[in-house]
Amino acid sequence: MDKYIRNIYRGVYTVLVGMRVTIRQFFEPNVTHQYPYEHDFEKKRNVREIPKGYRGQLYNRIEDCIGCKKCELICPVDCITITGTKLPKGEQLWDSMNVVHLKDGREVIGIVDGDDKKIKSADSITLTNITSRQGSQEVIDRLEPSGVENRTQTFSGDEVSRVVTRNPVVFYLDQFDIDMSLCMYCGLCTEVCPTECLTMKDTLAGVEYSKFDRSDLIFKFDKQEMYNKGNTEEADAAD
Amino acid sequence: MQGGLERATGEKMVLSFGPQHPATHGTLRIVLELDGESVLKATPHAGYLHTGFEKLGEHLDYNQYIVVTDRMNYLSPLSNNFGYVLAVEQLLDIEVPKRCQYIRILMAELSRLADHLLWLGTAALDLGAFSVFLYSFREREKLYSIFEKTTGARLTTSYTRIGGVLRDLYAGCEEDVREFVNNFPKALKETHTLLTRNRIWMDRTKGVGSISADDAINYGLTGPCLRAAGVAHDIRKAEPYSSYDEVTFDVPVGTNGDAYDRYLVRMEEMIQSCGIVTQVLDNMPDGPVNVENNKITMPNKSDAYGHIEGLIHHFKVVMDGHGVETPKGEHYCATESPNGELGFYIVSDGSGTAYRIRIRPPSFLHFQALPHMLEGGMVSDTVAVLGSLNVIAGELDR
Repeated sequence: MDKYIRNIYRGVYTVLVGMRVTIRQFFEPNVTHQYPYEHDFEKKRNVREIPKGYRGQLYNRIEDCIGCKKCELICPVDCITITGTKLPKGEQLWDSMNVVHLKDGREVIGIVDGDDKKIKSADSITLTNITSRQGSQEVIDRLEPSGVENRTQTFSGDEVSRVVTRNPVVFYLDQFDIDMSLCMYCGLCTEVCPTECLTMKDTLAGVEYSKFDRSDLIFKFDKQEMYNKGNTEEADAAD
Repeated sequence: MQGGLERATGEKMVLSFGPQHPATHGTLRIVLELDGESVLKATPHAGYLHTGFEKLGEHLDYNQYIVVTDRMNYLSPLSNNFGYVLAVEQLLDIEVPKRCQYIRILMAELSRLADHLLWLGTAALDLGAFSVFLYSFREREKLYSIFEKTTGARLTTSYTRIGGVLRDLYAGCEEDVREFVNNFPKALKETHTLLTRNRIWMDRTKGVGSISADDAINYGLTGPCLRAAGVAHDIRKAEPYSSYDEVTFDVPVGTNGDAYDRYLVRMEEMIQSCGIVTQVLDNMPDGPVNVENNKITMPNKSDAYGHIEGLIHHFKVVMDGHGVETPKGEHYCATESPNGELGFYIVSDGSGTAYRIRIRPPSFLHFQALPHMLEGGMVSDTVAVLGSLNVIAGELDR
């Protein structure tokens, strides 16, 4: 009987000792945060932020991609599919082109009238065969000639910051699909990328991109959307 | 009235514990034959989480396989990464730079802390101590943010590479780790207050699932479970690998081999790991983190951009037949993972892919000792014993 009561006493006492630790927690700040409601968690004091170098969603800057297929090769789960097209010898997508960088930041693509190597900064420049799209969309333009406006425009020397020659293209990417539903986020592909165009987003957008449909997780390099920078503002908003 | 219904009728009751049970920590199953509340026979069933990790090793090349080792013991992926690359490096007969060894030890010990913390939380949770679970997860979260900053991922770290590590420690890592290690014993003391002398905890774990030292050796138990039985065997001490011979630490040993001793051994191991981490940080050498052998590791970007050799190696190291190629032969390398001896047995046919990779997981051998520990006990002890063994299903079935 004596032992029984002592046992109860000891049981209650040790629980109370533990309770002291627990009750102390009442007066300490919360460690947890209510994730879907406190969505903007990077600003919270006690909460982690997404560190630099985090391995989030894969993102390929297609303009820099040389289609070397190293990422496709090293991927342990084969979530990257790349197809490139090499034109037969002698064929090319277009003749040599010029990009005129204007001082207000715009780029105009066309063919400079005369020898582009002899242009001096003060000269006014006449562009023929101007296309409405900018960036590296020449591939698209060739595939869909509707982008070519065949307009001619003259710029004065004050407007132009520089003129760049673009060589004819004999190889271009047809497909660069990343299946993020397969991806294991190991980062091997970003490590081997020679041009560092394939990266993993270390921002909130690289972590939160859940979709309702699994097929939405296959990120395609869509030639229409990716290259159609005629409507740059819309593309930025979507990104 | 005596003995309950089953004893009166002589009928045994078969209880299927798992594969879906909150206390199974993964998908595993134990078929219990009960007589009333006492366990007559326990049959563990493995294979519910079979993932074919070993088979994958025959298709993935040596660097790709690191990604798979993350998923084996998902509580301490950094230890798995470490064990695997060590096996490959020993097969290749290369030695990584000192700084790399120290970084690996640092991360392996931190992951040991994370593993033991999760074990502590879930083992206590299974026995009804919910606060301990929360407190240990709070501490584990701090570790995970260090992992996140270092490796770029919280769980699937893939930090090591053959001949090096993914990247050097981030700036400010040392301060972060030191701050954690300094505050950690205080947090652990809270758990000691909550559990160690707690009457309920002692009643539930003392004398439960005990195993003698001889039996433990015969069953192939390793790690904290073996040491709780009184055998002071730790691979870090017995056959020091990497730079473990340069750090000093004690090997905690239990006496009874029961769940309570396993708890105490793990608690002490966490303190010892903190000591190792401090020593590693104190003596962290400078220098490169990767082997300077372009056949094995990727040349850095400035080399790839600046020199044609660098660019060629940058491409070749990825290509089949030009990258990491082990000599013909076989090798077994064991490391002390948080759960026990984690061994990688690699058979190489001289190509860039292993002919066979066999993993000796500690959990598989712990699981086979389960009937020995359960039979003759009560059905409620099953949870306590299973919790104390820390059987990880991903590692068990691989």
